Amino acid sequence: MAAVANVPLVKVSINDVEIEVPKGELIVESVKRLGLEIPIFCYHPRMKPVGMCRMCLVEVGFKQQDGSVRKMPKPQAGCTLPASEGMVVYTDTEPIHADRRGVLEFLLINHPLDCPICDRGGECPLQNNTMAYGPSTSRFIELKRHLPKAFPLSTYVTLDLERCIQCGRCVRFTEEISGDHDLAFRFRGADMQPSTFQLTDFESKFSGNVIEICPVGALTSAKYRFRARPWDLETTPSVCTVCSNGCNVWFDHRAGKFVRINGRANEAVNEEWTCDKGKFGHEHYNAADRPTQPLVRQGDGFAPTSWSGAYDPVLAAFAEGGDRVAALVGPRVSNEALFLLRRLFERAFKSARVSSNWRRTPGSGSVQGTIADVESGGPVLVFGTSLADDLPIVHLRLRKGATNAGARVVNAFSRPTEVDRFAAVSLHYRPGSELALARGLHGLLAGTGATAEAVEAETGVPADRLREAVEVLKEGGTALSSQGLYDLSDGPQIVEALAGIARATGGRSECWATGANEQGAIELGLAGEGATATLQACAEGRVKALWLVAADPFALHPDRALVERALETVEFLVVQSPVGSEALAYASVVLPTALPAEQDGTYTNCERRVQRVQPAVPPPGDGKPDWRVFSECLLRALPETPLFNPREVMEAIAAEVPAFAGCRYEALGPEGTVLGGNLLDTPDEPAMVGGQA
Amino acid sequence: MSELIQIGAARPKAPQPQDLTLRWSERAVEELEALKGHYPDLKSLILPALWISQREYGGHLPPEGIAEVAARLQRTYAEIEGVATFYSMYNTAHAPGRHMIEVCTCLSCHMCGAYRLADILEEKLGVKMGETTEDGVFTLHEVECLDACDRAPVIQVGPDYLDPQATLQDEGGEAKMRAWVDRLIDDLRSRPEPSSVRLADTVVQVHVRATER
Ligand code: SF4
Ligand code: FES
Ligand code: FES
Repeated sequence: MAAVANVPLVKVSINDVEIEVPKGELIVESVKRLGLEIPIFCYHPRMKPVGMCRMCLVEVGFKQQDGSVRKMPKPQAGCTLPASEGMVVYTDTEPIHADRRGVLEFLLINHPLDCPICDRGGECPLQNNTMAYGPSTSRFIELKRHLPKAFPLSTYVTLDLERCIQCGRCVRFTEEISGDHDLAFRFRGADMQPSTFQLTDFESKFSGNVIEICPVGALTSAKYRFRARPWDLETTPSVCTVCSNGCNVWFDHRAGKFVRINGRANEAVNEEWTCDKGKFGHEHYNAADRPTQPLVRQGDGFAPTSWSGAYDPVLAAFAEGGDRVAALVGPRVSNEALFLLRRLFERAFKSARVSSNWRRTPGSGSVQGTIADVESGGPVLVFGTSLADDLPIVHLRLRKGATNAGARVVNAFSRPTEVDRFAAVSLHYRPGSELALARGLHGLLAGTGATAEAVEAETGVPADRLREAVEVLKEGGTALSSQGLYDLSDGPQIVEALAGIARATGGRSECWATGANEQGAIELGLAGEGATATLQACAEGRVKALWLVAADPFALHPDRALVERALETVEFLVVQSPVGSEALAYASVVLPTALPAEQDGTYTNCERRVQRVQPAVPPPGDGKPDWRVFSECLLRALPETPLFNPREVMEAIAAEVPAFAGCRYEALGPEGTVLGGNLLDTPDEPAMVGGQA
Repeated sequence: MSELIQIGAARPKAPQPQDLTLRWSERAVEELEALKGHYPDLKSLILPALWISQREYGGHLPPEGIAEVAARLQRTYAEIEGVATFYSMYNTAHAPGRHMIEVCTCLSCHMCGAYRLADILEEKLGVKMGETTEDGVFTLHEVECLDACDRAPVIQVGPDYLDPQATLQDEGGEAKMRAWVDRLIDDLRSRPEPSSVRLADTVVQVHVRATER
């Protein structure tokens, strides 16, 4: 726990070294200031201490008048012991070593010691603490407790009850962090087991985190099960590109193949959590149907070719195409690739038809604060989004704000969502009445004579609830929504009304992107005319050549018939894709590319934080990074020096795009940097995610 | 949890609160509403609500009875189940017989012949401790101190404490016990109302104020 400004300092002595620590800081944290460590199991810095495992025992005493130390007769749990003036703590004495041996001996009584076949072996706190502090042999000859092993608690989480040491971390996570309280301890004593109600499916949207925080192998990942031993893994710091939150993760790989995702700490973004979509959503890295070499159409099939063999027909089809050539970009393409794509289309093809917006209506959302601001405690209106699905980490932050900082939350959605569990007021409106509700709330807050009864008639939300919501929001209420609103036909008007609400309350207006680099595309001016318009132009024959960049229109666009017509009609179709997709069947040329963790690049998350991802594994076969494809095309098409690496591309972006002014790889700190923030005055410091571009 | 478990087999999903069949009587709902005023938040209400549910579900607290408490208190199933399975007086594991005879075998009772009394009960009912008679009328249990040492050896049936008014050390004590057990069994057989329902109701009535009944 970091020192808080106005907490008084107290003097404590730890192993005879005097230090000053904030009053009330837990001793388990204070010792870290001296580089010491107290072994723990149940304590977790982000959850309330419970003192359940007794691993963290320390000797505690107080200085007497005569200078001698009077120790308490019994050891104390360091994880529940707040520092106070004159406290004397010993972490390394003979009695403490005996206590630790004793605690571990008890913990191991019922533990099956099946480390050789345990997924946690090699990265297991129980193993480590036993190695460091435990007895080397067991005196226990009685029968151990026997319970189900490898119990599938959900498709992601496997529970081995024999290994559980009943520390309660998993239970407390669902109670304190994710808030769904899906796990609880059933029964008591040695029979106590963490489990779901009647062992039903563990449905939490954040269930993967309990795998990481379980200090033994009781909760393991069903997806990673027996795929590697931890010491065989290499790991690379990375950023999750499944959604717009941009969680920092460890990308674990073995022999060039993706293996698993673990959370990585970034206090500004995900703290250390991940959502299940991200943690278990990287399997496509190992998909068997990924394109591995450039292909050109030959009759009904494809013929493999070299990269230059693929570039020639592409450049011939697009050259000087003007309005008759277009590109559609998916939501997970890096800033660098987006920028070069736009440059390629503008300079070489003379076309402005590059579009990244797959929503039904155009719009660029609104970003005024940061993810961390969401937990500050001010009132928040969550509008038209299921936060745990669309912006999972923002959901955790908001919940934290509500439970720890007393933020009052109004949740408006057409059906119940997880936010209702901590919301002060829930407004469940009739689907389709979003605009009426947003305008109604605006009217009520701005005092323009609107009545709650009129809004009730239009939206089905009881007038009393509306009045309660207005009470909550009127002082500084922030309007929080996702750009998913633009999928509604009146999206822009709704966002406008939400902005009005924020103006009326004096709060912020946040309408955040949901795609990994959706916001980056907006900042780089690539939103364009929108995919629907482009696809229509293709279907009507107004566009003769279309370039799909990491975008599967069948998955991204709701109108299947339109997509089919467009892809059939367009004369020349380039499918540049890292993964297999339905659109491949229509392609004239297929360009295999790399996934985010296979290439260098930056991504702009929902709060406009630019974070760098570096290559962890190579792309399969001849796959190339997206930016390189565009850079090579530019080299062929134009007599100018192309940009040869992403670092240079970022410099060009910073020079050309005002939003990115000052953005350099060196200026992206370990936590990434929010655009328009402190970019310009960041001193040169090596980026944590370093490496040569 | 004895089923053989297959990796990857999908677990059944817990029912949505709106899909539950709520079985509480009107009176139970009123009692719950009255109790809500006694506590700062709904979490504090879990124990009394579980007693109400145990009464409403016939002296047994099946998963549905737990889920109903969760739904009525707007808490998760897992949390309520965790509380219910912690306490031994909530009958979560299986439905007890119509009359649950709980024999105290703690120190004072032990000294006065509780185990002999227990043997007699086992013999007459033909079941062992923890078992239910085939006709489903009696369940026998061994419990710790009932806080009635002055009446040792003592048994509890529902809300009632009963004792043979004889100890093993008394003149003809064992014979008295036998005769008393016979009378007890006959008497209980003639009572149709399940004793665990009576117990649950007694506990609930302790919580609900007279003015709220
Ligand atoms: S499963 Fe793991 S985290 Fe949960 S109580 Fe057991 S040891 Fe602790
Ligand atoms: S870490 Fe302190 S008791 Fe578990
Ligand atoms: S020992 Fe039986 S009531 Fe106390």
